[in-house]
Amino acid sequence: MSMMKSTPVAYFQKNLNPKWGEVNGTQVAMSFDTPEIEQQRKKNLGVTDVSCRQRFGVKGPKANQWLATQNIKTPDSINSWVLDNDVLVLRLGSSEFLIEQQVSGDVCKQLNQVSQTAAVGVYKVLRADAAFVISGDQILTMFSELCKLDLSAEALKPNQLIMTQVADISATIVSEITNGQLVIRLWCDGTYGAYMWRVLHQLAEELGGGAVGLTNC
Amino acid sequence: MNMRINKQTGEWLEREKQINFTYEGKKFTAYEGDTITSALWASGEKVLGRSFKYHRPRGVLSLANHDINVMLTDGVDTNIRGDVITVKEGMSLTAVNTLGGVKKDNLRYIGKLLSPFLVVGFYYKAFFRPRFMFPFWENIIRHGAGLGKVNFNYPRIPKPKLNEHYDVLVVGAGPSGLAAALAASLDKQLKILIVDENKQAGGSLGYDRAGSVTPQSQLEELLSEVNITPNITLRTDAYAGAYYTDHLIPIIEFSGITKVRTKTLIIATGVFEQPPVFRNNDLPGVMNGSAAQRMIYRYGIKPFNDGVVFTANDYGYRVALDLIHAGTNVKAVVDLRKTPVSSILTRELANHDIRIYSGHCVYEALATSDDMAVKGVVICPFDEETNQADSEQSFTIECDGVAMSAGWASAAALLYQSGMKVKYDYTIEQFIPDSLPNGIFAAGKVNGVYDFDQRIADGARAAAEAMRYMGMDNAPVITVQAHSNVSPSHSFPVVPHPKGKNFVDFDEDIQAKDFINAAKEGFDNIELMKRFTTVGMGPSQGKHSNMNAIRILARIRELPVEKIGSTTSRPFFHPTPIGHLGGRNFHPVRQSSIQSWHADAGAVFVDVGAWSRPAYYQKPGVDLAEIIQQESMAVHNAVGIIDGSSLGKIEVCGPDAAQFLEKFFTGKFADQKVGEIRYALSIDESAVVADDGIVSRVKDELFYITIGTSNAAMVYREMQRWLQMWQLDVGLINVTGSYGIINVVGPKAVHVVSSLTQDPLVSKLTAGKVGETIISEVPVRIMCVTFVSNIGYEIHVPADSMLAVWEKLIKAGTAYDIRPFGTDTQRLLRLEMGHYLPAYDTDGLTIPYELGCESELAMDKPFFVGQRSLKILAKKTLKKRLVPFVLADNFSGQMPEDCNLVIENGEIKGRVTSISYSSKVDRVIGFAYVDPNKVEAGSQFEIRTDNGSMVKATVVNTPFFNSKKEF
Repeated sequence: MSMMKSTPVAYFQKNLNPKWGEVNGTQVAMSFDTPEIEQQRKKNLGVTDVSCRQRFGVKGPKANQWLATQNIKTPDSINSWVLDNDVLVLRLGSSEFLIEQQVSGDVCKQLNQVSQTAAVGVYKVLRADAAFVISGDQILTMFSELCKLDLSAEALKPNQLIMTQVADISATIVSEITNGQLVIRLWCDGTYGAYMWRVLHQLAEELGGGAVGLTNC
Repeated sequence: MNMRINKQTGEWLEREKQINFTYEGKKFTAYEGDTITSALWASGEKVLGRSFKYHRPRGVLSLANHDINVMLTDGVDTNIRGDVITVKEGMSLTAVNTLGGVKKDNLRYIGKLLSPFLVVGFYYKAFFRPRFMFPFWENIIRHGAGLGKVNFNYPRIPKPKLNEHYDVLVVGAGPSGLAAALAASLDKQLKILIVDENKQAGGSLGYDRAGSVTPQSQLEELLSEVNITPNITLRTDAYAGAYYTDHLIPIIEFSGITKVRTKTLIIATGVFEQPPVFRNNDLPGVMNGSAAQRMIYRYGIKPFNDGVVFTANDYGYRVALDLIHAGTNVKAVVDLRKTPVSSILTRELANHDIRIYSGHCVYEALATSDDMAVKGVVICPFDEETNQADSEQSFTIECDGVAMSAGWASAAALLYQSGMKVKYDYTIEQFIPDSLPNGIFAAGKVNGVYDFDQRIADGARAAAEAMRYMGMDNAPVITVQAHSNVSPSHSFPVVPHPKGKNFVDFDEDIQAKDFINAAKEGFDNIELMKRFTTVGMGPSQGKHSNMNAIRILARIRELPVEKIGSTTSRPFFHPTPIGHLGGRNFHPVRQSSIQSWHADAGAVFVDVGAWSRPAYYQKPGVDLAEIIQQESMAVHNAVGIIDGSSLGKIEVCGPDAAQFLEKFFTGKFADQKVGEIRYALSIDESAVVADDGIVSRVKDELFYITIGTSNAAMVYREMQRWLQMWQLDVGLINVTGSYGIINVVGPKAVHVVSSLTQDPLVSKLTAGKVGETIISEVPVRIMCVTFVSNIGYEIHVPADSMLAVWEKLIKAGTAYDIRPFGTDTQRLLRLEMGHYLPAYDTDGLTIPYELGCESELAMDKPFFVGQRSLKILAKKTLKKRLVPFVLADNFSGQMPEDCNLVIENGEIKGRVTSISYSSKVDRVIGFAYVDPNKVEAGSQFEIRTDNGSMVKATVVNTPFFNSKKEF
């Protein structure tokens, strides 16, 4: 019997009485309210904890070539991302990558089977991110308080990845237009996960949004 | 007396909405949109405040927040600027800085009786002797002079600090600013923001009308164009408070601060009107001409019934026409200049039968018997060449108000802060930009352009230059005509008077003679004079006073104005609430993945660096000191468990990993075997101790390093920096957040840990060894370390699985009375073991020799960071050494504390770095820096405690509990 893991955020969502579920062996908040209410929150400003998604990190001078041998499509330029077959690949630098399985699939699970020093010049990076998906009409208002950079669609290049400070801690940001709506994905060190959740959730509530469970993300 | 007049075109009031409030206990009504000042003035209330030092009655000066005549308290809120803060229903206002109310202020006698003794700088020279009396005098001065009293019950209202980005930021929504924005908006790709501190846009175009309707039409035309331009955002009631590098401008609004980053910045902030200096120029009823105009057109108020205009430029003639428009009986225009003025304006005044006294001055304003208002002015012929008034030929005009117009000073604070070079333009008697930093442009009056058409052109020119700066080479080239009319400012609008009270700085009650006295005392440089006289140092930051101060100093020193220079007001040049600066106050905190377990177990948390860690676990009825001893004894007698996740964790991988560590740390790692752990000490280039930790060789090309909590980020940064320089084939991975650490320590620890795995590794693991295994289905790294106990296991677990492993260990440990412990106990345990902690037992100057850790320095290596400095320091005499010590058995005096000094023969020899009572040792034990001659066990030294008593301490060997028999 495998043991249930927990996201860095789950404990701090308890006061919202979510419906819990298990995804990738991890306890996660599936919903906080009815689908209608969560959809309304999403329209204004919804925040979802997606830390439970499977991830794989790798760095090293040969990391890019090695990923190619694993049939992982990587972005051509640094600080950019590519989504291929439900696998999101973030190029964090010339020789560092974060790969995230979006909904289903076992690409990351397989990649994680490799040893820490998978090959010459390839180093596996154990990831323990807190990850969030934020969407809604008020998203830029929220991030104008949290981040000094301009995250509007006009200011960013296509598939641009940003590593910056959000609420005074280091974070990685990807913004994309989904169904005509700006969506921001955010990753930060898992040990800051609870703090980041508190900040995002508080601002979202102030701006007419709130917590959205993984089911309605 | 009701001074309200008919509704004015473009006024800022909503007359259908009435507001009730009180001032000094008296009821008043206002219209929505009225400021406190305008509401009171409209009701005939003229004494709106008392001055800072002399407690003179004050009324309106600028009606624009360029002075602080009207500062009020409303409940817990104070220092409310009456000129610009709109009145709200139910306000209960009192003037600040009074004793007995604004009209019967008992401190008014300071100005009447004591002012001859209160010359500028008096408090620098008085009250120093006898010394014991200084607090008495200080108390009196602080109560007698000041602003509103801060109420510490004021609620903390967090205000957001937002970030916004623009291509063009225009500061100032007067004609130049609006024109600049419109010109830039022709490129539809540009994102443009205009901000203006006023509640409505327009600048002087909204109130400087000379009785005509044309300016208002021009303004409406400009604004309607701005309003339909999609790429322009106009934000009023928002001021740009400062300029910071890279065009970062904080915009302050009631709701909070917006930090605007802009590619280009156009400053169109205009000018501040400077009052002429004459006796009693501060009486209620004497106001700037622009203040009178604002009163008329913004708030629909007649400034006075019978007025005199005292001018030293053409502007005063425009003011006179506006006063006539408002229904004021303008009794005279007194012009300091002999030379004729604009014929058009004089003709218009002549049409109204207004008498003009050219070459005359207002020698003094006369006060009513209660000193609360103006009853008239004394007029004299004036010689501009000699700056003399001929009081022999004086005559009096009765009036209840004086409008003053003498000139202007650039509102150039942001430009100064940006690094602008200025020059003095004699054609307009004003400092204007000479050169501006890249991306910054000035337009309009602040740039020395006064004519309306040219201000529009200047705005367009600034926009075109900004566009060219952004690479739009096809932006038009626009020429602006130089100023050709008479100067809008007078070169020296100062009327001497033997009785003084001719004020230059209204904030600080500084008179013209104060500058002369300051210069006589040698403070004749503008920066020195500013500090000695405090001119420009009040809440107005010199907005209405700096230019006159510069002119007076130039006259005193017989130098041209440009040789005097000007001062720069620091950010924020406008008063900004502390709450705005504080913002929402994000406080990032790192938490272990089992924080929830700690909280449920009664942990009391403490900040350790960025982390929140359990300090100890509360037990009902047991005090902190006892809990720490209990937790400690649990470790000594059975088994304890602590969450050590906050330790820094770094993986060093690659073919050159060992070589990298050899260079980075002081010890040796090339010959370290897989499965071994070694102590590692890092020092900086100057050999100061940076941190220490444990290096585990997990694989041939994989080292796993744990380092201190507080220094982890710094050490990782340093590693990255050195790797860049050394160019070794190494990968550095910061896995601090990826792994949790569970430390199981004490004689029963092996039983607890072994019970969770079939792997014989655990039972075979000895001190100094590391291995990888599976515990409860979770892959872990496990090492045997003796930091807080002779037997201890550090289990490094992937963070997301830590809770499960922790709970299994707790369950397995129940049979052995396992007890969780926190950082307070951990510090005691490591002290008992005799281990120093970098950053706790060291400071920013500590070198390894002072710790006595020479054995950790592999000086025979070819190189490591700091080795060269160590070689130099080895030849120098050591001044202190860290030693373990105990206090006497059954010590019961004043307990020494961390940082208490070690004193020998009256000299400081060192300090205590750690101290605590230990149940295990049954003594007070600690670490202290002492004279290097006192390091041998048995040596004694003395510690001075907080109450001054001296406590004897004895040096011992460590671990303390092994040395117990030696005591």
